[in-house]
Amino acid sequence: MNRKKRSFNFILGTVLLALTLIPALIGLVWTPYDPESMDVANKLAHVSIRHIYGCDNFGRDVFSRIMSGSGITLLIAIGTVACGSIIGTIIGAFTGYFGGMVDTAIMRINDVALAFPSILLALVIISLMGSGKYQVMFALGIAFIPSYARIVRGEYKRIKNLDYVKSAKLAGAGDLRIMFVHILPNTKAVLLSSVMIGFNNAILAEAGLSFLGIGVQPPDASLGRMLSEAQAYLFTNPGYAMFPGITIVMIILGFSLLSKEIG
Amino acid sequence: MKYVAKKVIGAIITLLVVSLLVFLAFAIIPGDPALSRLGTNATESALAAMRERMGLNKPIPVRYLLWLAGIFKGDLGTSYAYEMPVTALIADKMPITITLMIYSLILMLIISVPLGVYASYKEKTAIDRAIQIINQIIMALPPFFSGILITLVFGVGLKFFVPGGFVSIGVNPVRFFKFMFFPALAIALPKSAMILNLLYTSLNGEKKKDYVRTAYSRGNTSNAVFFGHMLKNASMPAITFIGMALADIVAGSIIIEQVFGIPGLGRILLTSIQNRDYPVVLAVIMLIALMVVVTNLAVDVIYKIVDPRIE
Amino acid sequence: MEKLLHVEDLNIEFHDHLIPETVVYDFDLDMEPGEIVGLVGESGSGKSMSALAIAGLLSRHDMKKRGTITFNGRDILNCPRNQLRDLQGDEICIIFQEPLTSLDPVKKIGWQVEEALRIHTKLTPAERKAKALKALEDVELNDVERVYDSYPHELSGGMRQRVMIAAATIGNPMLLIADEPTTALDVTVQGQIVKLLKKINKEKNTAILFISHDLSLVSRLCDRVMVMKSGYVVESGSIKDIFENPKEEYTKKLIASIPSYDPEAGKEAEDDVILDVKDVCVSFDKKINGKNTNVKVLKNVSLKINKGEVIGLVGESGCGKSTLAKAIVGLQPIDSGSIEQHEKYPQMVFQDPYGSLNPSKKIGFILEEPLKNLTDVTEEERHKKAKEMICLVGLSEEYLERYPAELSGGQRQRVCIAQALMLGPKLLIADEPVSALDVTIQAEVLKLMQKLHEELGLSILFISHDLRVVGKMCDRVLVMKDGVIVEQGIKSDIYDDPKHEYTVSLLESAGLLKKN
Repeated sequence: MNRKKRSFNFILGTVLLALTLIPALIGLVWTPYDPESMDVANKLAHVSIRHIYGCDNFGRDVFSRIMSGSGITLLIAIGTVACGSIIGTIIGAFTGYFGGMVDTAIMRINDVALAFPSILLALVIISLMGSGKYQVMFALGIAFIPSYARIVRGEYKRIKNLDYVKSAKLAGAGDLRIMFVHILPNTKAVLLSSVMIGFNNAILAEAGLSFLGIGVQPPDASLGRMLSEAQAYLFTNPGYAMFPGITIVMIILGFSLLSKEIG
Repeated sequence: MKYVAKKVIGAIITLLVVSLLVFLAFAIIPGDPALSRLGTNATESALAAMRERMGLNKPIPVRYLLWLAGIFKGDLGTSYAYEMPVTALIADKMPITITLMIYSLILMLIISVPLGVYASYKEKTAIDRAIQIINQIIMALPPFFSGILITLVFGVGLKFFVPGGFVSIGVNPVRFFKFMFFPALAIALPKSAMILNLLYTSLNGEKKKDYVRTAYSRGNTSNAVFFGHMLKNASMPAITFIGMALADIVAGSIIIEQVFGIPGLGRILLTSIQNRDYPVVLAVIMLIALMVVVTNLAVDVIYKIVDPRIE
Repeated sequence: MEKLLHVEDLNIEFHDHLIPETVVYDFDLDMEPGEIVGLVGESGSGKSMSALAIAGLLSRHDMKKRGTITFNGRDILNCPRNQLRDLQGDEICIIFQEPLTSLDPVKKIGWQVEEALRIHTKLTPAERKAKALKALEDVELNDVERVYDSYPHELSGGMRQRVMIAAATIGNPMLLIADEPTTALDVTVQGQIVKLLKKINKEKNTAILFISHDLSLVSRLCDRVMVMKSGYVVESGSIKDIFENPKEEYTKKLIASIPSYDPEAGKEAEDDVILDVKDVCVSFDKKINGKNTNVKVLKNVSLKINKGEVIGLVGESGCGKSTLAKAIVGLQPIDSGSIEQHEKYPQMVFQDPYGSLNPSKKIGFILEEPLKNLTDVTEEERHKKAKEMICLVGLSEEYLERYPAELSGGQRQRVCIAQALMLGPKLLIADEPVSALDVTIQAEVLKLMQKLHEELGLSILFISHDLRVVGKMCDRVLVMKDGVIVEQGIKSDIYDDPKHEYTVSLLESAGLLKKN
């Protein structure tokens, strides 16, 4: 592969993520304005020095809201991926390694779940549990389990037939030791790249749910929710929709460039 | 033929499993629909009567079987909120959503396949790099944001269509299709980028295969190797992915209907979720599952036609 | 006579790294029409690169070629692509090592065999089909109509390679380049392919450039041979000269590395049984044409190994020899019969050194694994034992800190042997331990096993498809076919006076059959 192009991807990805994630991290403790305080005088104010991204229909500072909103979005994404990948890995490891009837049954259900768009699965779960940031995290986490389970299962099914696993068996390693000491480290490459992709999907799914009004609930800010509120003001203040949208694009582009580097 | 029969049976089992899981999920959630219908002041006898009318007094397995039998008779239950048959409620919404899906599928293929093939054909040239860069950015667009951008550019800026100005096909078919082009594009754009990328990667992977070398050794032109040998081999992963993309198109259409103000299945699904109108939610989910399963079935059959190695 | 092929001062360089890497230096070759020339060397010696350059198939942008290649009066090196295409598939044809991947998986055999005709002639489809069927018959395929309508995955490896040869020779080329055409095939099939190439050469007067890592195979087919090492042609001459009077050190080493049957070594060991396999049967459920069929892989197999004995188990792929090895070490459950052995935890060395070491673990970890799981020796003792063992197999202690990816194939196989010996067994089961290695490395690993056998009094069950290797290593030989041991005995009896016809055909394919 071309060295120069690789490092270009890497630098661009890092810059994009730095530009979005650092404000999000700062936003957890400090924002220029209170993201929830309304100010009628500044209603739909355009870009200015005081409000660098302008203000929304309640006069709230868009930049501050993006800072705190992307923080919430990222937290949900981390929770979702952690839940999906850990439970998915455990299910995939056991079913892939042992095979048999249980494997067939679980994978049948898994196929059904996979045929469903994850956002729809999340919709069902949310309609059962109500909306809110923890519900979104839980719903997406469950919706993401099948894809990880399938990937990890495929890896286990492939690796368990390799000679080094047989060799570990002869060396007296038990099933659990083989599964988690011998095989797991070798799924790292596949798992890592699917975690990166999963992270992007989680951000998209959360933003989608919040955009539909059933994700993160006010007063919490969320990039998706901001976009859906901004939609009504496309004529008067297009910037209000552009900034949160561009922030999402930057995060996703950054992650996918970096995951190309790792994968 | 045996292969197709096996896949059809598999699809039916899948649908049954979905119906069971979804029905169970909605049947066991806490809360009494009769109570929420009549309010907390309702008498116990009124509640019991209401439960009987809503069919809630029977045990869950019986309710499931009745519901399932109803589906086969074309009866999807009665909406709590609108007090009318679910079938009537969604009958005119379905064609709109299906049009949107097929429209975006066609757009997706028209955009992605020629560009993916072209970029791989011109690998390592300036035009290839340009396509890659634009593609990367489009791939990162969430569908609702691409919808907003399209509204902003084509609706607000260029005035090609009136944002929110949905016209039903019965009123004016020409304006209907003209309007639907833009939401379909909003769904298709990010998906096209992904398929383009996949087709491009798999074509470039094929270039390194042994049979390509063999084809060259027989005196084939580069074009003959590319179009005669590689394209069919490279299309197989792309077909699988198009199958997966169809599920995403379904999800995308729910969101995009919201952006463009289209009164389709997505809209009614969302309102029903907010109203806790479970019969409608159940029906819409089953419909979406049906669409996903049928398209996946079609993908499996196409795959079998393209790849002789499938048993 | 007019020269068919003239190559002079061919140099090939790669430019994909910062420093250009030369893979072929000053390559010279002359070929007459109808001549068979062998090109021998180990992996990475540049032999395939030279062949591809002659076939006009090296056109990567990051590669530079210098020198001259003249074929039949035409300059191949500086020829524009469209003129080169007129030659390719018509006058120069090439077949490759792996016939499965070299055929287009989604195109029918007939279509692929006819391809050269479609490109270079104006024959009608019916004429093309007639020619293709004839070509398939010429490569001794049966039921050619059915083969014509098959897909590559529906044929066996040997049949696929015949198809490749049919496709290459359909236009009666003047030069056929065969790049390791038999390496991926079974021994008996190998012999058949070599015979077939000889026949084509005789009947059609096609010149053949035969590329192989196997000097003994080359010696059976070619008139002349060239030996290559790391990009250079180190020696060339007639087969007789090279074998009887090699001048270069490397050629001598290569010839010495050819395992040769050594009748002296075959002796009967004392009667002290450490492995007793009795009437073992194994069967699998296998999918054949979409139906689950119970396939008997081992049918009443019995064998005994005495202390200090080296036993060879010979057979072709799919005959059940690996299944037997797995059954002995307990990786494969058996249907009936019994396996009694001295070892509580039998160990085994696998064929592919690239698959048998866990890529995410250091060598030290891999070596200590059996001690950690199966004994209660202290950590300190484990380290000590690992150090001892890595030195015993001829590597230094530093290797304990390395990952498998940093080791060569031969070194990896040494590590595998070391791991199998960590528990101090009396019996080692080795399943094709040297098949994936280059000849000179192969010789070194065999030497190591011989040394371990002598120094530790180790018994070895040596499983191989290669009668030469077995003939060098073992005392007793068992011949296996379709899950049955068809013949067994002292090595000299088997090699000098084979009773079973299958043993005869194996020996014949390996060129070891004594002609009475």
